[in-house]
Amino acid sequence: MEFIHHPFIQPMLLPLAGGLLCFLIPRAWSRVCGWLAVLISAATCYLVWPLFLAAPQILDLAPAISLKIDKLSGFILLLTAIFAFLISLYSVGYIRQPEQQKPYFTYFLWTLAAAVGVLLANELILLLCFWGFLGLTLYLLIALNGPQASSAAKKTFIIIGASDSIFILGIAFFGLLTGSTRMDGPAVPLNHPHTYIALAAFIVAAFAKAGVMPFHSWVPDCGEKALLPVSAFLPASLDKFLGIYLLLRTAKDLFVLTTAVNLVLLLAGASTVLLAVMLALVQHDLKRLLSYHAVSQVGYMVLGIGTGLPIGMAGSLFHMLNNAVYKSALFLCAGAVESQTQTADMDKLGGLAKAMPLTFITCLVASLSIAGIPPLNGFVSKWMVYQGLIESGSTFYGSWIIWLAVAILGSALTLASFVKVLHAVFLTKAADTVRSKTIREVGWRQTLPMLVLSLACLLFGMFAYRLPLAGFIYPALRQEVVYPGIWWAGPAAFLMGLGIMMGFIFSLLAGKGKTRIAPTYIGGETLAGEVQVTGVDFYHTYQSLSLLKRFYRLAESKWFDVYDAASKIIFYFVELLRSLHTGRLPLYLIWVLCGLVLLLFLLLH
Amino acid sequence: MDYTTLLLQFVFFPGFLFTAVVGLVTSWIDRKVTARVQMRVGPPFLQPFYDIIKLMFKETIIPSGSPRLLFLSAPLLGLSGATLASFILWRILLNPGQSFMGDLIVLLYLLTLPAVAAILGSFASQNPLASLGGSREMKLIIAYELPFVLALLVPIIKAQSMRLGEILAFGSLLPSASGVLALIVSILCMQAKLTLVPFDLPEAETELTGGAFIEYSGPPLGLFKLTKAMMLFILPMFLVCVFWGGIHFAGGWNSMLLGFLKYIALIVIIVLIRNTAPRVRIDQAVTFFWGPVTGMSVIAILLAFWGW
Repeated sequence: MEFIHHPFIQPMLLPLAGGLLCFLIPRAWSRVCGWLAVLISAATCYLVWPLFLAAPQILDLAPAISLKIDKLSGFILLLTAIFAFLISLYSVGYIRQPEQQKPYFTYFLWTLAAAVGVLLANELILLLCFWGFLGLTLYLLIALNGPQASSAAKKTFIIIGASDSIFILGIAFFGLLTGSTRMDGPAVPLNHPHTYIALAAFIVAAFAKAGVMPFHSWVPDCGEKALLPVSAFLPASLDKFLGIYLLLRTAKDLFVLTTAVNLVLLLAGASTVLLAVMLALVQHDLKRLLSYHAVSQVGYMVLGIGTGLPIGMAGSLFHMLNNAVYKSALFLCAGAVESQTQTADMDKLGGLAKAMPLTFITCLVASLSIAGIPPLNGFVSKWMVYQGLIESGSTFYGSWIIWLAVAILGSALTLASFVKVLHAVFLTKAADTVRSKTIREVGWRQTLPMLVLSLACLLFGMFAYRLPLAGFIYPALRQEVVYPGIWWAGPAAFLMGLGIMMGFIFSLLAGKGKTRIAPTYIGGETLAGEVQVTGVDFYHTYQSLSLLKRFYRLAESKWFDVYDAASKIIFYFVELLRSLHTGRLPLYLIWVLCGLVLLLFLLLH
Repeated sequence: MDYTTLLLQFVFFPGFLFTAVVGLVTSWIDRKVTARVQMRVGPPFLQPFYDIIKLMFKETIIPSGSPRLLFLSAPLLGLSGATLASFILWRILLNPGQSFMGDLIVLLYLLTLPAVAAILGSFASQNPLASLGGSREMKLIIAYELPFVLALLVPIIKAQSMRLGEILAFGSLLPSASGVLALIVSILCMQAKLTLVPFDLPEAETELTGGAFIEYSGPPLGLFKLTKAMMLFILPMFLVCVFWGGIHFAGGWNSMLLGFLKYIALIVIIVLIRNTAPRVRIDQAVTFFWGPVTGMSVIAILLAFWGW
């Protein structure tokens, strides 16, 4: 039993045991669970830290149980633990109902344990076990939010479960080809049809987890219906980490990709960026909108990996980190707004900037960051992905122009979408539903993680090279990253910040602080409260353009939803089979007879 | 480079002060020519300076219920973005051999900052007309961003680099058909980026009474106006650098004069368009940019790809 003390095993066992403890705690004490989860995720951070620093090593416990740590998994391990800590802290303030607390924190800690397992596994079958367990805890976590979330939970479970089955198939082929399912073997060249099947299966599993189109449709449903910290933890951060981790392992260590495969990745990435952001643009529900962005942002990561170049991969990893930072921050803001106003419908929100200043500032910083405004972190990683695309040059038959144009347009559309969020939720005049209540800022357990994340947006942008890139990303890639472009993040941020400060001081001095507060001017008239521009319909102009009209109509009929399409096909066949079951005995006897004849024929043939 | 020199250059030359002065002079040219076209006398040379200075000492009126910090800092965000863009551009123009601070994509992003600032400021105004103005500005960005990016890819394809120094070293693209097309596309996009007629939808004085800036007054309004004047200098200069070979300071007075004439030519085009076209509707602007203009930029890219 001495392996329990091994540094590889402890970060897995601790959350597992903690979850079990939460599970066993009597109902009356369920308030303790939250703080227990905070404590355990903090302890997991502490346990993971030496693993992050450690040199790459492999631990073989038994023939089929092999664990491994290297810089890539160490980096993602650390991120997972830190995000678990921040979000468990937020959850303590958010999850107040005793009947939800106990199961929520139990599944939360088990999710953490399984994620650590996935990242440490050096054996594909072991990885698959943890991977499958994650699908289960995800289902349970979503289903916690009562009957309204059950269809979203079912959909998630089916999409993730189906991709897991495909993953098993891929692992079987991989084992068949290489004779082992270990992940530290030499990379497999794509010289046999079976290798392509294995590779495709791995990619499908990674795509479904990370929410790349066309396997994305569980993310918006989950975001809309699940408890908020669940969407902030799983689809927004953890599932991105794991999906991109698997994709990067597949692309770098398990297989030697060919140009055609890279092209497929680029195509998937670009279409995810564009289609998801177009869908996000017209959403009315804040959480659903954020979820579509969670899908769209993965597109950039897949684009980066698709280039196959160090700069693209570094950009992709950095974007994964940045996306987790600002997207969790945005989800946490949405949660704060929802917990104070009891709605996430942007038609009913408005004017919260004064009532919830900290939430507003977090949301502003995170929105600018996701839109790629320099000098924030989102800009740096997008810029790195763009360089990867430009650098790939003639490798992909000049197709980089399309991918780059799509990526930059996607970035402008992201800006548009978040400008709308800022307007509708925080800046426009307060809607009646909001004005009738006194709304206050959320408590420190919720604001602290939000502020930490928005500060990270700023710091990771300003000190991009020194802090995240040199600390985490270059070591994780083990490759030298050459920049074809130039961006002096630090000096530029310094100049812009100082420019804003100086301008502020100057305009204060010049105007001698003469300010007056006056009502708004609307052609000299006073408008009644109900005359209001919410901003939710800002982009109707686009919806009515003839080309886009068709796109939105297709989206409305769930044309882009693989779940819906698959269920239609399956129900078609089910109907066929059902038509055979008429309940009439003679018909069944005929079928039995036919079967017997067929068997006889086969056996005697 | 140490931070003191950097800061001094950023504030004085070739950063803020230089850009502001030249920008204001350019805006005087614009106003004067416009006045002459309309058979008016036009303002005296120093009028733009008077306007800005006077606004700086006026009272600031803040709309009730607006988030004050965002309302007041939005113009500064735009101003510092524009200044940084101009600083990078001019540092590279003055020392083409040195790599400095940012590349073409960085400039592309920095040049959208003034528009983003106008949107945030207008939304912070709590005024429905400002909201409409801000949303139009956003829709305009989406409309012109695609053709503008595609046009900027032409120099990247030609020079096989995204660094401004190397694009400048590659020289003018205008002898080639793709370069001419890309320049035309980006001139049209520039008009929209400057929100000048026919794309002055965000302000639309006759319908939205100033739109995005309706609630602004005093120093913040002055800063917005100053940013617009600076953009009138930066954007044409940016196009001259990227498509038209830039200005060569090493080559003596003749080449400097030539570079200056290129810039003036672009200004003349801007002023001519602005005085001869009526304002379009937002859906017309979007279909215009996503239709013919994007089509033109795609043709430019294909031509560049085949080496034309």
